[in-house]
Amino acid sequence: MTVVAVDNTRGLALCEDEAGARSSVEIALIDPVAPGDTVLVHAGTALA
Amino acid sequence: MKFVDEFRDAELGRVLAHEILGAVEPGHHYKVMEVCGGHTHSIYKYGVDDLLPENVELVHGPGCPVCVIPMGRVDDAIAMAHEPGVIFTCFGDMMRVPGSEGTLQEAKARGADVRMVYSPLDALRIAKSNPDREVVFFAIGFETTAPSTALTLKRARAEGVPNFSCFCNHVTIVPPLRALLDSPDLRLDGFIGPGHVSTVVGARPLEFIPADYGKPVVVSGFEPVDILQSVLMILRQLREGRCEVENQYKRVVPYEGNLRALEVMAEVFALRPHFEWRGLGFISHSGLRLSDDYAGLDAELRFGVPGVRVADPKACQCGEVLKGVIKPWECKVFGTACTPERPIGTCMVSSEGACAAYYNYGRFAREREVV
Repeated sequence: MTVVAVDNTRGLALCEDEAGARSSVEIALIDPVAPGDTVLVHAGTALA
Repeated sequence: MKFVDEFRDAELGRVLAHEILGAVEPGHHYKVMEVCGGHTHSIYKYGVDDLLPENVELVHGPGCPVCVIPMGRVDDAIAMAHEPGVIFTCFGDMMRVPGSEGTLQEAKARGADVRMVYSPLDALRIAKSNPDREVVFFAIGFETTAPSTALTLKRARAEGVPNFSCFCNHVTIVPPLRALLDSPDLRLDGFIGPGHVSTVVGARPLEFIPADYGKPVVVSGFEPVDILQSVLMILRQLREGRCEVENQYKRVVPYEGNLRALEVMAEVFALRPHFEWRGLGFISHSGLRLSDDYAGLDAELRFGVPGVRVADPKACQCGEVLKGVIKPWECKVFGTACTPERPIGTCMVSSEGACAAYYNYGRFAREREVV
């Protein structure tokens, strides 16, 4: 998924998938991300 | 799309198929197990097995998280869903997995408040929006999904959400692999290692396979070119007399795994002494429960569950499919009494299940062969 926006205070990022669907993603397990980054998301959590 | 399109390149796939052809010894039949249900899905979806020589057979493994949930645990989930005031949340696939008296979807039709979620975080959100209701999350999956559950439980505790709990059915990948390797039913030449599980645990936990059993392992990505390249890497190891863990999926999998994920899992979960797997029976230290520190969020302790072991339907051969002993189409009820619309066994439910993947994609290739 592609990171659209980051909320560091809540440890969440708004991410968009290939089809354009957006969802909140936990980002506590990966290095800091920024809009435009690609992340591997599983069950709502970015793993890589 | 970045990291995807280049791994679906048809020309590259053909080149790899040609190299695979050159790497096999005529007269030797190779059996390679893909551990992960995601690989099974890709193999059938993209027709990867059609590109392999006849003497290279892909055998489907036990890595579909929905498929390995035994009927008794589904019954336990349905019992919880019928508790007064409970909102029971689960992933979509789990709603259609049959227990001994129906599915969660049927329980919903009978009045239970069962809701589909995409993540445990969604379930927590439902709990915060419904403070007068108990919200249970049906946690399933291997080490890929467990960190997500763990983070959500940490968040629930930090934010003080007392009406949220978790019915934990997470499992770990190494014990069933060891059980399979100890099984006399199965002769395997190598393994396509689980890509996403390895993103979390790393490739190191798979080292016992070459060390103790003398079989090569290649951790693989999920696109067709990934899988073809992994098969080639396994065949090259065999040809060169090597036997080790290799990582084809380096763009995602660090050899040591995701240390933060392992840390949060160690905090929130503890190993159960044993856990029942559909088709494989009880396997020691293969399931996770909530750690004592998180016991207050354990739905099994909060509600109590029947905990009755239920035998699989006699007609269903999911167990043999999960062990790679038979192919989906060799099951007596495949495609007749058991279809994705009306599944009898778990392997026909999830898109990662070998039976569903084969029913949706592979059978067309087989029909072509028969004609």
